[in-house]
Amino acid sequence: MTAIATNVAATRNRNTVRATQRRELLMLVGFLAVIWAVTTLLSPRFMSPANIKDILIQAAPLGFVVIGQMIVIIVRGLDLSVASIMATVAVLSTSLIDVTPVIFAVGLMLGAVIGAVNGYLVAYRHVTPFLATLATMIVLQGVRFAYTGGAPGGTLRETFRFLATGSVLGIPVALMVLAVVAFGMHWLLERTIFGRRLKLFGDSPDAAYMTGAPTKLLQVMAYVISGVMAALAGLFLVGYVGIVDNWTGRGYELDSIAAAVIGGAALSGGKGSVPGVLLAALILVSLFNIVVILGLSIELQLVIKGTLIILAAAVYMKRSQS
Amino acid sequence: MSSIARATRAQPVHLVVLALIGLVFVIGMTSSDRFATPLNIANVQDQMVALAIVALAQTIVILSGGIDLSFAGALSFLAVVFAALAGDTAGTLLIAMGAVLTLGVLIGVINGAINAYVGVHPLITTLGTSTILAGGALLITRQPSGSVPLFFEDFMYGRLGVLPYGMMVVIGLYLLVGFLLWRSTFGMRIYAIGDNEVAASISGLPVQRTKVAIYAVSGLLCAVAAMYMTGRFGVGDPRAGVGFDLRSITPVIVGGTLLAGGKGGVLGTALAVVLLALLANVLNFMNVSSFYQWIAEGVIIIAAVSFFAGKGKS
Repeated sequence: MTAIATNVAATRNRNTVRATQRRELLMLVGFLAVIWAVTTLLSPRFMSPANIKDILIQAAPLGFVVIGQMIVIIVRGLDLSVASIMATVAVLSTSLIDVTPVIFAVGLMLGAVIGAVNGYLVAYRHVTPFLATLATMIVLQGVRFAYTGGAPGGTLRETFRFLATGSVLGIPVALMVLAVVAFGMHWLLERTIFGRRLKLFGDSPDAAYMTGAPTKLLQVMAYVISGVMAALAGLFLVGYVGIVDNWTGRGYELDSIAAAVIGGAALSGGKGSVPGVLLAALILVSLFNIVVILGLSIELQLVIKGTLIILAAAVYMKRSQS
Repeated sequence: MSSIARATRAQPVHLVVLALIGLVFVIGMTSSDRFATPLNIANVQDQMVALAIVALAQTIVILSGGIDLSFAGALSFLAVVFAALAGDTAGTLLIAMGAVLTLGVLIGVINGAINAYVGVHPLITTLGTSTILAGGALLITRQPSGSVPLFFEDFMYGRLGVLPYGMMVVIGLYLLVGFLLWRSTFGMRIYAIGDNEVAASISGLPVQRTKVAIYAVSGLLCAVAAMYMTGRFGVGDPRAGVGFDLRSITPVIVGGTLLAGGKGGVLGTALAVVLLALLANVLNFMNVSSFYQWIAEGVIIIAAVSFFAGKGKS
């Protein structure tokens, strides 16, 4: 009897969680629609297919990073090293070899290793995520600059650049890859035991431990995913820009945290969805484009972005309290 | 209460940092005979003034279990405003000082209120305000602009023996804040909230009001740092604060204050600021590029934190 009752309660609970998630997604879609509509009214060329395609391609790197950031935030963590990973992976892997698949393989491996170090420090050495990833960020920065002597050089192969800027059947390659990764991560998070355990750990580390989940390994895996995502983003970003720079991805650590929070992830852990954070990333990138299209001062986007971060967090806060 | 007394007293970590300072000093003396000259010692102090002030602000906030990432934007914004108002007479300088100090407190109050009354995580709150203020600074001016009175600039470069005037202000601020933490009710409340916010709230402490006050003090100190930096540059740089958000945290952590709050104090931060500034100076004398200095800084953070890991809450 009680077992059935608990089951019913659990199902109902899960349904309300799903309903809340759907409402939050609708809110984000609504917000995006409003800002797009207003901009189109003010400047019709915003809605041109070329411009929309531009926004989407520009959003792709942030999309990768924010998915990883969200996974880390779900396990009550934070990854400040993502931007540093992006640049370090881009600088190191493109300078070693000139074969596109190998660049990607090496880059993703490197991202995974750095993520594992972050995860080790957090899970096994009990270092606060903020500090562990801050230290990794600074160390990687030093390694990268020391390796390049401050000025990275080298040109990128056409095949490499094609991946970031080219299209197949009119669809940009970067977006296809992002779509595949996003579906994969969504499935992993919502449909597998691994995903359930990540969220359970975020809700209550003790409860996750009691159920026999390998809690330390879970944390390490979250940081590994974030590292790999950042590596992928770094490679696509240098491919898009065309130049390998020591500061590739600068600002992505804070932008990805902002997008994760706007997309519904809570720093207290256990909460977050792939569609939500991707929409938030799209909102942030749209804002930049809108400010440029409307001929407003570029700095204004910083003011809007900051206001949006606080407002979004406040709204989610109020909702979770009521 | 006894745990608070212990938290403010000298701790083993202080001895470790002190020993490291001695070690770095000896290495410096052996690596260059220009190291121990009055000029270089004054130079090292000049390098640490701004960081010392924001690290002091960060110490109070972290002790209460929060974090303040708004320095990057706030320093830039306040520097630009200060240089725009300071003009070239004592009268305009006073007006600018009053305005910037008020704005600093206001920024802190906003940070604290959003955190305490709306319940938004301080990391998100201060990240948001920092972004807004960074944008605001650049909206006012894209290039370094404005000016400060010449006598003000001279004062910032002046020194008494080997002690720059700026350093005297820093020492005064550290003594003042140290005394506040050690002896005042406000200080006790900071430790209590950082140690266990729920317990502090149940015991009837005005947690929300205290939090607002903590961030207000942080904003006030940030304004002082902004005035110092503007005085040194002679102009208001809209990018003056870039990097200070994360840089301000390193000395606090190396000095033994726990990021979780409730444990640590200003003595550790002061020693750590000295250590980091000396280390950078010595590495420069040894012709070690700043790239390796970054690696060293990251490793020091990990080493410091691992040192405390497993000792109480980490």
